[in-house]
Amino acid sequence: MNLELNATNLIKRFGARQLFSIDTLNLKEGDSIHLNGDNGVGKTTLMKVLAGLDKPCEGQVSVTPAKRKLWSSNLHPRVIYLHQSPYIFSGTVRENLAYGLKLRGSSRQQTNDAVDKALSWSRLEPLAHQQAYSLSGGEKQRLALARAWVLNPGLLFLDEPTANLDKKSVQNVAELVADLQNCGTAIMVSSHQSNPVTELCKQNMLLTGGQLKKNVVNEALYA
Amino acid sequence: MQDNLFETTALALQLLFSFDPDLWDIIGVSFRVSLTAIAIATLPAALVGFLLAMLDFKGRTAVIAIFNALMAAPTVVVGLTLYLLLSRSGPFGDFHLLFTQPAMVIGQVALAFPLLVCMSHSAFQAIDKRAWETARTLGANCCMAVITIMREARFALLAAVVAAFGRIISEVGCSMMIGGNIMGYTRNIPTAIALETSKGMFAQGIALGLVLLLLALLLNVTLVSVRGKGRLV
Repeated sequence: MNLELNATNLIKRFGARQLFSIDTLNLKEGDSIHLNGDNGVGKTTLMKVLAGLDKPCEGQVSVTPAKRKLWSSNLHPRVIYLHQSPYIFSGTVRENLAYGLKLRGSSRQQTNDAVDKALSWSRLEPLAHQQAYSLSGGEKQRLALARAWVLNPGLLFLDEPTANLDKKSVQNVAELVADLQNCGTAIMVSSHQSNPVTELCKQNMLLTGGQLKKNVVNEALYA
Repeated sequence: MQDNLFETTALALQLLFSFDPDLWDIIGVSFRVSLTAIAIATLPAALVGFLLAMLDFKGRTAVIAIFNALMAAPTVVVGLTLYLLLSRSGPFGDFHLLFTQPAMVIGQVALAFPLLVCMSHSAFQAIDKRAWETARTLGANCCMAVITIMREARFALLAAVVAAFGRIISEVGCSMMIGGNIMGYTRNIPTAIALETSKGMFAQGIALGLVLLLLALLLNVTLVSVRGKGRLV
């Protein structure tokens, strides 16, 4: 059964300031959305709320099919959020890739096989045994994507995945994201600029003035 | 005076390396009590430090301030408080704990706990919030995410444990008051040094002092060698 995320009557406030109010939002496997909006409008917060990492002040987010009981009520094992600047755990590249698999109870053999595939997929094989903190920004972004890919996500939130990356790294990230899309993973990419990753998206949404406008074509952005 | 110092130090070394049973018994009491205390205090204190770093609740600042104040509490004051609590007329007098090793463990836990809380709180504060979010989004439940964060902060947490162990194994006030300095039972390194010095018997005091200095050196060399792998990124 395909994964589907539904959000209804979402309201997020910080103190007296209302960040956004969204009536409905539906995401399902195969979707690809570019979430656009100026700095500070709440793109990151919205994505974290949808991913279950932050709680809305009002409204609810539900993901079907329902998750296993092991996970908390807010988080779904197939919904993954990637930070603008990914956090890399201490340890090697391999250890970072194995992190989520170990949590899911994979055997050592299964984990090793899946990590090998992820290294190949992200073209990080030569760096497999390197301390992950020593990777470049682009390599860290690829590692974060591979760390998610290895868990077979149904829905992936990418928060400004190309910020601070050079052209080649952006292209590399775009290729990996395109591959994830081809595997059926729904993606939501936040960015206030057009780039090779956002160009992969079939839908555009604009978060502005606390409202989410769907299917917006921003000509200035895509010119 | 200088000759006397050399003679006493030589005698102290002789006591140490001849494995004088009284001396090594005192060292054994010290390590048994302090290692037990640190083993009891570390995990709960680290969890309190973690909660103080992660949760935003009413009175959080006051709790942090109280732990900071307790960290600097004089050992004799802690000893006096516990003496009053554990003495026969005190609320816990029926447990007959005064002048026993368990009482010394309780005292050392009370001394180590605030230091461990404050240092682990600082260690967790230094960890990026993204670490928690990344662990959670990759499938860690709360317990596993806490373990992940502890692993990320392991060098700072290890430093906290070393600092706390250094504080309790060398404290004299609390051990003297609630341990009673009973030979072969509650006499530990610092209380023995204080007693022997007051009697003018410096050799054993110097020998025990050397053990403490050696321990401090060993702990810090271990810490530095372990931390050496965790370079700045």
